[in-house]
Amino acid sequence: MGDIEGSPGSSMHGVTGREPVLAFSVASPIVLTDPTAKFDLPVDSEHKAKVFKLFSFANPHMRTFHLSWISFFTCFVSTFAAAPLVPIIRDNLNLTKGDVGNAGVASVSGSIFSRLVMGAVCDLLGPRYGCAFVIMLTAPTVFCMSFVADASGYIAVRFMIGFSLATFVTCQYWMSTMFNGKIIGTVNGTAAGWGNMGGGATQLIMPLLYDLIQRFGATPFTAWRIAFFIPGWLHVIMGILVLTLGQDLPDGNLGALQKKGDVSKDKFSKVFWYAVTNYRTWIFVLLYGYSMGVELSTDNVIAEYFFDRFDLKLQTAGIIAATFGMANLLARPFGGYASDVAAQRFGMRGRLWTLWILQTLGGVFCILLGRSNSLPIAVTMMIIFSVGAQAACGATFGIIPFISRRSLGIISGMTGAGGNFGSGLTQLLFFTSSQISTAMGLTYMGIMIVACTMPVTLVHFPQWGSMFLPPSRDVVKGSEEHYYVSEWTEDEKQQGMHQGSVKFAENSRSERGRRVASAPTPPYATPNHA
Amino acid sequence: MGLPTILFLAFISLSSLAFSCYANGTFSALQNGLLVTSSPKAGQVLKAGEKNITVTWSFNKTFPAGTDSAYKTVKVKLCYAPISQENRPWRKTKDELNKDRTCQHKIVSRPYSPSTNTFTWTIERDIPSATYFVRAYVFDTKDKEVAYGQATDAAKKTNLFEVEAITGRHASLDIASVCFSVFAIVSLAGFFYLEKRKGKTSK
Repeated sequence: MGDIEGSPGSSMHGVTGREPVLAFSVASPIVLTDPTAKFDLPVDSEHKAKVFKLFSFANPHMRTFHLSWISFFTCFVSTFAAAPLVPIIRDNLNLTKGDVGNAGVASVSGSIFSRLVMGAVCDLLGPRYGCAFVIMLTAPTVFCMSFVADASGYIAVRFMIGFSLATFVTCQYWMSTMFNGKIIGTVNGTAAGWGNMGGGATQLIMPLLYDLIQRFGATPFTAWRIAFFIPGWLHVIMGILVLTLGQDLPDGNLGALQKKGDVSKDKFSKVFWYAVTNYRTWIFVLLYGYSMGVELSTDNVIAEYFFDRFDLKLQTAGIIAATFGMANLLARPFGGYASDVAAQRFGMRGRLWTLWILQTLGGVFCILLGRSNSLPIAVTMMIIFSVGAQAACGATFGIIPFISRRSLGIISGMTGAGGNFGSGLTQLLFFTSSQISTAMGLTYMGIMIVACTMPVTLVHFPQWGSMFLPPSRDVVKGSEEHYYVSEWTEDEKQQGMHQGSVKFAENSRSERGRRVASAPTPPYATPNHA
Repeated sequence: MGLPTILFLAFISLSSLAFSCYANGTFSALQNGLLVTSSPKAGQVLKAGEKNITVTWSFNKTFPAGTDSAYKTVKVKLCYAPISQENRPWRKTKDELNKDRTCQHKIVSRPYSPSTNTFTWTIERDIPSATYFVRAYVFDTKDKEVAYGQATDAAKKTNLFEVEAITGRHASLDIASVCFSVFAIVSLAGFFYLEKRKGKTSK
């Protein structure tokens, strides 16, 4: 399998206290490069890339990366395309504040279900068709905006366009077929962050398109409808590119995937059980609802807020709103990076503190944004809020891979769905009622962020500790192996199904921070080194 | 105790001075110096882009002569009636004039003259569907509001009329939508079918 067998301590080969989970390349000798493969990038035995070369378009790995994040970006553009144009749309369709708020809730609710379904679709049809299906089938929903005549039509169309955010799942799944596990964190973080930027780019693009179309002679109530054709065309173009240029696996397409048996051999019911019975899963579902969730909510309300509160032109409000979403370019990867840096010194406790600090800071600045009465101060508060919230998203996925080895896929999916649920709930509570002004809504949202980030103090790993408690001193219970292998029953261990978890446990010792060198040798021994 | 308190008091007094510089006009401080009438009958529905409104305004002679010495310009606006402001905070009425959002659509701007002025305006195609009344603001040489007149009563209940907006939809847009949607679905289905067939023949 690649391990050097025999000598004691050889299981620790390449594992150092400084080994980050997120890295740009896999230098560890545990992951051997396949010398027979003829790819542009060095690959492992599964032909997954070991190096992340950002500005390359080489087939298949980097080309897949770019097809994948741009498709996800396009779906973000279309899902939030209405937001900066709401001042025009609300007059055309005679919407009330409740209608505008409900449409915002609808735009993020559809993908709760579509993301959960997309995991199964990727397993059955592969991520290439998963992505192409979603993006092509939601293209008609984007074009449907030209038919909308009243509030109910508007809400329905935004709901349907929102289904396209399932491309988050295809994006992350597709990356995991193309990139080695050691760098998958960085790759996925970058892809997700750059995709999320679409929520910011759209605030810039749509008002510009609207203005351009008006200059060609269209009246306002027609111009915004025409503007929606552009995201619609982007859907179709990306769908065609994904179908013609993409492939499911480094070696080819889906047929190979099914023959190789890369489809999970584990039972869904078991994987699901271990995901839902782990209390940490639910804490992170809540937490992500108040980092990613508030990001989505803000994407929906911020342009209209600046337009109304500070009397700006549509384009100016759009530019300011765009800076919120575009901060994702650096903020989300920064969060992941900060998590890794904290982990090098303080291990998992450092990651938890980093997450708590970033997310709470985001909440505080959200409160201040709601209370800002002058434009320059409001913009400053908004930018710091965006960095806090988006970095918290990146930091969240620095911890998620460690909650469970067996159920990582489902936990990631549930967390993602939790983000959308949090967004829908927040918009319903604070941005739909006429009794609460948008400024107060932002303040309340900030308070809720701070409150809902507190549960991270409860996340405790026996082997690494929690924010306030040290790890267990028990030699057995305080080992990584005990935590990860406890997800398997004795029967399953007899069949050797837990081997992946044991390997993962060994590698995860880096989460002890500086204490790795002094860690006592656990009594577990893998059969390789008996 | 000494210096910090002095600095604090200085800050407070300076900021209140600064605020008084920005002290803005309120609606309740304006004189009802104009008599304004508008042509639509109460409850009439007018189509945007097609129908006209004729607005007439003149100096309100119940005020003593000379009250209008400061009047310079008249701006006539289309304003939302209370029913169209419900659940729509972006159209809220506020006493402070620069925060007031009642009158968002300009009809005409004319230099002030005390005699009867008339203007006929075709309702523009970007006016939304709502219930309206007409109000005119009078500005002085410093471009500050000094007086107003409106075609409805103080409670904004009489002489209200409705505008029916254009939908913004066009048959050509609808057809283009359908064409592109069909193209998307057909190309997806086509690719899927072709690849399945290629997969079968190559096995």
